[in-house]
Amino acid sequence: MSASLDEFVAAGPWPLRVVIRALLPLARRPRGRALLRLVTGADQALGGVAAMGYYDQPDVARRLGWDADAVIARGRALRREEGRP
Amino acid sequence: MSTIYADACVIGAGAGGAVLAAELAEGGAKVVVLEQGPEHRADDFTARPPQMLARLYRDGGQTVTLGNPPVALPLGRGIGGTTLVNSGTCFRTPAHVLERWRRERGIELDDVLLDRCFARVERSLSVSEVEPELAGRNAAVVRRGAERLGWSHGYLKRNAKGCVASGVCAFGCPTSAKQHTGITYIPRARAAGAQILSGTDARRVLVARRRVRGVVTRAPDGSRLDVKAPRVVVAAGTIHTPLLLRSSGVGSGSGQLGRNLSLHPATAAIARMDEEIDMARGVPQSFYVDEFATEGIMFETIAGPPAYVAMSLPLNGRRHAEVMSSYPQLAQLGLMVSDRSGGSVHRVGRRPVIRYDLAAEDLEKFRSGLTRLERLLRAAGAREVYLPLPGGVTPERARAQDLRLMAFHPLGTARADARPDRGVVDGGLAVHGVAGLYVADGSVVPGALGVNPQLTIMALATRLAFDLLEAPCPS
Repeated sequence: MSASLDEFVAAGPWPLRVVIRALLPLARRPRGRALLRLVTGADQALGGVAAMGYYDQPDVARRLGWDADAVIARGRALRREEGRP
Repeated sequence: MSTIYADACVIGAGAGGAVLAAELAEGGAKVVVLEQGPEHRADDFTARPPQMLARLYRDGGQTVTLGNPPVALPLGRGIGGTTLVNSGTCFRTPAHVLERWRRERGIELDDVLLDRCFARVERSLSVSEVEPELAGRNAAVVRRGAERLGWSHGYLKRNAKGCVASGVCAFGCPTSAKQHTGITYIPRARAAGAQILSGTDARRVLVARRRVRGVVTRAPDGSRLDVKAPRVVVAAGTIHTPLLLRSSGVGSGSGQLGRNLSLHPATAAIARMDEEIDMARGVPQSFYVDEFATEGIMFETIAGPPAYVAMSLPLNGRRHAEVMSSYPQLAQLGLMVSDRSGGSVHRVGRRPVIRYDLAAEDLEKFRSGLTRLERLLRAAGAREVYLPLPGGVTPERARAQDLRLMAFHPLGTARADARPDRGVVDGGLAVHGVAGLYVADGSVVPGALGVNPQLTIMALATRLAFDLLEAPCPS
């Protein structure tokens, strides 16, 4: 799990945190997803969390045209130039 | 234990609390603001959804209701509250809603005064309509679809100044263009001498002989800190305000405290277009379609970086990866329902538990809303539309448990009603039966608005502030 996704999971309420940590590995495998489909909503929810973690990786996101570091750098420069908070 | 003395203690620094704090302090009152969360600085924003959810949202944005279906309810936490992480959309309270408050709740609002309060808030937040070029191509797609179908639509008004469409309103604005209360009202409150205590947890409102005396808090170092004040305004938000009032033994007389929870349950469809959209380059929430607003159905554009879209794309495995590989061609449109369902908020241990079941009437709104959403996206030229439903389930046959819902704008858990046996606060937002105690957040709003509520909450807070100052709201 990436540091960013780990931070997200750690911020959740503890019962959810335990469930996500236990079941997230299943959401990354086709057979695991099939098992999760037996529980209403679990497949989509955990699949969503896994997908968010994957596409949050800077190199993956950059390939799709999204560069978070560049967005932040532009914001920082603009705030400095214009004296924004 | 230490004690601070003030003229007014405000609990919460979001839409309601920050406005109260600034207006009262500028009016000459000695004000203390208690905010449970931290103060966030733009320098700490990363534009990465998982990190920002973890840092800016309560429970990392993973608050979920219990019921059918479970609904994710993201809430901001810290100075600015949810105004820090919302999309910045600004609507005044619709006239038909104000009329309903008068008719059903006996709340008489002076139209001229309310208009002044709205205008004052809009000036403070630099509210203006989104420029089409800033709205981006996601909005252009939706506009094209609405125009082809002849559906009523428009660009949204937002509280943004110098926006460059960073595309991450919900994850902390990196340019500080969004005028959330943490960079508008809170600095004004500070400049006027208000004491802003972040990381300070209000535990109990002190009441003796039916009059408020102050607030018991837990300071960041764990020590007890009491604020003694003849006026206390609770603005902890729709989920936490009723819990604080209940644990303080006040506000329960009507039996309505914690009940009547209203949400705007929402979902979204994603469309694959032939053209380049690049949805993160544009204001995420910039355009609306209100053709079906009278039915309680509203469409608003939403957008975000790949991580955000990947989370909501209702596909699996290779199919998910294949569609995500065309992220630059994806467009997204949200569907928001003005609910009639009604939930409740309870406390289990130190945590809120939110009960909410989608009513049959609201399920019907989702069924027709999703059908229309697909129609609009197809009319705009979508090659494929991905509805938030399990494979093989059509909108007409969707059951509540098939829907993937998020909800926004919780309201109503300490609702206003002129009658003490029907509401927690009166039309002036004073808690029935307790002198000096007020509520100024979404919890007082009786029922769904059908539009984003931040302006309503701020205007009501402005009105309360000038009532407390016994001064007219400047025109």
